[in-house]
This record gives sequence, structure tokens and C-alpha cells, in this order.
Amino acid sequence: MDPIRQNLPVLLDGLRLTIQYSVVAIILMVVIGLIAALMRLSTVAPLRWIATAYVEIFRSTPLLVQLFFIVLGLPAILPVNQWFGQLTYPILAAAITLSLNEGAYVTEIIRAGILGVDRGQKEAAQSIAMNGFQTMRYIVLPQAFKRMIPPLVNQAAQTIKDTSLLAPVGIAELVYKGEIVIAETFASFAIWGLIAALYFVLIFSLSKFASYLERRLQVDKR
Amino acid sequence: MINVKDLHKSFGHNEILKGISTHVEEKEVVVVIGPSGSGKSTFLRCLNGLETATSGEIEIAGMTLTDPKTNIHTLRQHVGMVFQQFNLFKHLTILENVTIGPRKVKKVAQAQADKVARELLAKVGLVGKEASYPDELSGGQQQRVAIARSLAMGPNVMLFDEPTSALDPEMVGEVLQVMKTLAIEGMTMVVVTHEMGFAREVGHRVIFMDDGLIVEEGAPKSLFSDPQKDRTKGFLAKIL
Repeated sequence: MDPIRQNLPVLLDGLRLTIQYSVVAIILMVVIGLIAALMRLSTVAPLRWIATAYVEIFRSTPLLVQLFFIVLGLPAILPVNQWFGQLTYPILAAAITLSLNEGAYVTEIIRAGILGVDRGQKEAAQSIAMNGFQTMRYIVLPQAFKRMIPPLVNQAAQTIKDTSLLAPVGIAELVYKGEIVIAETFASFAIWGLIAALYFVLIFSLSKFASYLERRLQVDKR
Repeated sequence: MINVKDLHKSFGHNEILKGISTHVEEKEVVVVIGPSGSGKSTFLRCLNGLETATSGEIEIAGMTLTDPKTNIHTLRQHVGMVFQQFNLFKHLTILENVTIGPRKVKKVAQAQADKVARELLAKVGLVGKEASYPDELSGGQQQRVAIARSLAMGPNVMLFDEPTSALDPEMVGEVLQVMKTLAIEGMTMVVVTHEMGFAREVGHRVIFMDDGLIVEEGAPKSLFSDPQKDRTKGFLAKIL
């Protein structure tokens, strides 16, 4: 009990960072995913190529390698530390790399959601003179969004867990702090157990919130 | 109101429409009949640009649809369409289904759009259903909402693509009744249908299509009782 109680503030400090990175990455991954999904479905071929290349590159390489490459590798060839500041660059690069990685998966979730909406819905929107943007915004996306909630929640849970990969590139989130505490206390079992429990609480609350959200959408809007 | 000249439409190597030419007067009700695969739905969908003509010319509501400079969205404000599968917006209430076009496309104020929508829903006999969602309604009710949704845009022409084919038999009548009322009020209509009773009673002219061509056209009475072409005779013998 003692090592936990003594070091709880340090771990909670790490948890705070884990939550911050998670929130930023979850928001950005949806924004990136929406843009890339619309690009993949575009009639403009170069937009499709760019989005497809993005998805394939980020999906086909490990997140950990991407993090090392961008957070630690890039400063070796570009003066990014001078551009963004020595302290800011790793924080920024880590958050963006994580968001881009998760965004690649979200792209496919959103694309599938859009394609899953009955073609007749789009045609009906066109027949009342809606343009492409209006059709997407008012007819297709609202219907696609509802069926995208479960896979998006899945991806958000994955994102929270993936923040643990920020530890090796020097972001002092939960796992990073845990390793420090264990190095001092040798309480490996207790600390890793506690860290696992903290992740569990975080993700379990998320999925509870999501199913509440889904139920509400179900009742209000079919 | 509609002028079609030598309309061709191919999907890949498959030519669906092989040169359609016809003319529809203002306030005329034209019924298109023919076996499935004859191209009648494709013809109708070309008339509001849901399908792009491969070649030929379409003039509708004073605009040339086949001219690339024509704004297709402006044109569609004048050409309503009712689908076989209704295609109501599933995530919107009945009232919202009818108001969303005027509000988002024509930028009509919500109060005004609501007022018009309620009048149209009353006209198609759906007072009290404003707050329901499409899947709470029967097929016949949904199709009547779809008609109201099209009318809300104030079209000059209404296109009907087999509007009763997906309905249970007992609901066909209520939809045809609404269409008949529209016809009497002077709406220009092109109706693809298998309802020969409607064609006979409401249609001013019947077009028989087969294999991508207009085989025969004429007043319902003469076409049904005295078809000139063998293919027309064969088709009518099967369905009447």
C-alpha cells in the first residue's frame, strides 16, 4: 500500500498528461479522418491519391516507429527545435503523430459509414436541388454518424491505450511516470497493477458515456 | 415544358436509351409504360440529371439540361421527383423532411417553411404526423410525404418513378389519389408506372417504351384499345 500512497500524486500527474494527449488526439483524429474520408470519396483524383497514400503509410507502419521517426528522427535533419522551440517540438510532434496515426483508421471508419448510407438518400437530396455540400452535411453525414459511433468509440479506446507509446519518446505520461516510480520503489507489481486499473477506469467510463450517447440518439432521432 | 431530342444513354457498352425524342406540354400528364429493362426509369432519371445523358438534348422548365453551362441545382428546383422506394430522410421528422429543401436550398425562413409544409401535409392527408419519423409511417403515408417534400420546392414539373410499385396493394389507391389531384390542379407530370387504371383515367398521353426506344405513343384510350405495333399488343396482352 505504501509505495502507491506515496507516489500517487506523481502517477496522477502522468494520468493528467495521458488524458490531455487522449483528448487532443481523439478530437484531431476525427477532424483528420473526416477530411481524409471526404478526400478519398472525392471525384478529384489527386485528392483521392493523397488521402489513400496517407492512410496506407500510417496504417502500414508501427506507431512506435512513427513516433521515433518524427519526434526524435526529424530534428536530426531539420531545425524543427529552433522553429518550434526545444521544449515545444516533442510535445507538438508527439500529439500530431499520434493524431495522424489514429486518423488513418478513423478515415476508413468514416468512409465506410458514408458509403453505408443508402444511395436513395443522396438521390432524394439531389432531387430537391441540394448541392454536394448540403447533401453531405444535412443528409448523409448525420445518418452515417450514428452507425459510426461504435467503431469510433473502439478507436478512441485504442487511442487512449496508444498514448502509452509516447513514454519511449520522452512524454511524461502515465507509463513514463510509472517507470520512474518503479525505478525508485521496486514496487513493480503494485504500480503496474495500479496503472492498468487507471487505464481501465478511463476507458470504461468512455464506453459507458458512449453507450449513453448512443441510446439518446436512438430515442430522439431514429 | 419538356423537350427531348435523340436522347442516348449508355452504361459502359450497354446502351439503355437508343434515341428518345418526345415533347411534354405544360399541364400535360404523360404516363410511360413498358416492360422492365426497357429504359423507362433511366429516361425519367435523365430528365432531372440523376443520370447524365450520353448524347442528345433535354430542355426542361425553360432550361437546357444537357448544356454543361446550365446549373443543375437551379434546374432541379423546378423539377420534382418521387422515387419507388420513397427515400424519405430517415433521420428527420416528417415536417423536417418537407421543410429541409426550402430552408437549406431556397433559404426560406423556418416559420414560413413550416407553414407551407403543414399546408402540403394537409393536402396529402397527413395532418398529425408532423413529428413522426419515416419508419413510423406506412409505405403509402411515406410516399405521400415524399410527394409533399417535392412540392415544397415549388416545381414546374413532377417526375414519378414507379411511385406505387413498392406499396402493399391496399395503399396504392391513396397515393394515386394524391397524384390525380395534382394532375387536376394542372401540374405537368411524367409518370412511370404499371398502374394502367391510372394511365387510362388520368393520363393525357401514354408512351410505350421497349428496348430503349419509344415504340408507340398516343391518347390512353386509343393506345390501350387499338395498339398499332405488335410489341405494344404483346405487352398489353400480358398486363391487362
